[in-house]
Amino acid sequence: MHSPMEQFEIKRLLHFNLGGLDVSFTNSSLWMIVAVILATGVFVVGMRQRALVPGRLQSVAELGYEFIAGMVRDNVGDQGKKYFPFILTLFIFILFCNVLGMVPFSFTPTSHIVVTFAMALFVFVGVTLIGLARHGLHFFSLFVPKGVPWVLLLLLVPIEIISYFIRPFSLSIRLFANMLAGHTMLKVFGGFVVMMGILGGWAPLAFIVVFTGLELLIAFLQAYVFAILTCLYLNDAIHLHH
Amino acid sequence: MRTSGYSALAAGLFGSLLVSGTAFAAGGMPQLDYHSFAPQLVWLAIAFVVLYLVMSRLAVPAISDTLDKRQAKIQGDLDAAEKANEDTRALVAAYEKRLADAREESRRLQRTQAETDSALASARFTELGEKLNGRIAEAEKRIAGQRDTVMAGLEQMAGEIAQSAYAKLAGQPADEGALGAKVAAAAKETGR
Repeated sequence: MHSPMEQFEIKRLLHFNLGGLDVSFTNSSLWMIVAVILATGVFVVGMRQRALVPGRLQSVAELGYEFIAGMVRDNVGDQGKKYFPFILTLFIFILFCNVLGMVPFSFTPTSHIVVTFAMALFVFVGVTLIGLARHGLHFFSLFVPKGVPWVLLLLLVPIEIISYFIRPFSLSIRLFANMLAGHTMLKVFGGFVVMMGILGGWAPLAFIVVFTGLELLIAFLQAYVFAILTCLYLNDAIHLHH
Repeated sequence: MRTSGYSALAAGLFGSLLVSGTAFAAGGMPQLDYHSFAPQLVWLAIAFVVLYLVMSRLAVPAISDTLDKRQAKIQGDLDAAEKANEDTRALVAAYEKRLADAREESRRLQRTQAETDSALASARFTELGEKLNGRIAEAEKRIAGQRDTVMAGLEQMAGEIAQSAYAKLAGQPADEGALGAKVAAAAKETGR
């Protein structure tokens, strides 16, 4: 029987080498590209008509747009407008990768820590640079909670600093672990179906059906969480609120 | 603090999964194979940048343009509806004003008509009354004339009767002048 972890294996479909750097086109790359193509299909081809009364595909595109636009407006405010295309891209990319991962025999790029960590680190570094550029050294007041006695500050400031620098890890591990756990679980229960045969296999099969629904919810929810946390970090950097 | 709580949770989950993952897979987790990092990161960068360009250059302007246009259209329609509503209200107000004016005018006409009518009627009434009074006066005059004639006749008759009665009683004809005066005085005394 196959290992439940086999589905996460990176398979090189086309071998490329760029000055000693392995840039092979893998199954992960394939599904990233599929996600980009499908997202382009919804958001560009769907918006081709620019109808005042939208059709189905255009409604989907507008819904996604307004969902993230509302999120950025509510969590960051007007200064967040500049970063809206980035957060929309982040959300759509993660959402499409997660949901496409639910297609049988596909691959989930977001089930790899290196992918999610790269995105989280980019967000973290970007947000920190935005904060420093906007507020200079005053940015570090983010680590000093207001209205706290100075004795407590000795304790709180290190905690704040740690919780700040742990952000890229929590952000990336949350997404990666959810994808990993969900897909592993589905695979394990798929193994149970085979193991328990035609008589007993129905129970894990029923579980898989229900769990697939839950996984679809999680696929959306994790993309949402990633996007909204990015908004909150951005808000911290722009407004220094705590 | 919330994020640190989350991260602790995630780290715990990650750790347990690492253990279970290594237990499942003899060769370890594919996620930890650092040889696969470079191609994943390169293609992540390519895919993400392409999607970002598509979104920021094509999708976002198209959608925001469409939403703005729709908003403008809806606002325009609402304004037009509001204007039409106001026009209708103005029309209704004008109609009601004209109706009230017409009512007032008709009341005024009615009143003047009634006044003219009553003036005319009273004039004709007076005229008729005068005519009637004239005829009454004429009739009275005529009656008085006739009565005078009758009375004169009566006096004469009374004189003649008195003369004949005097002649019969006295056996000689009476002095006509004296008797006439006496009869006239008696007639006056009895008062017609």
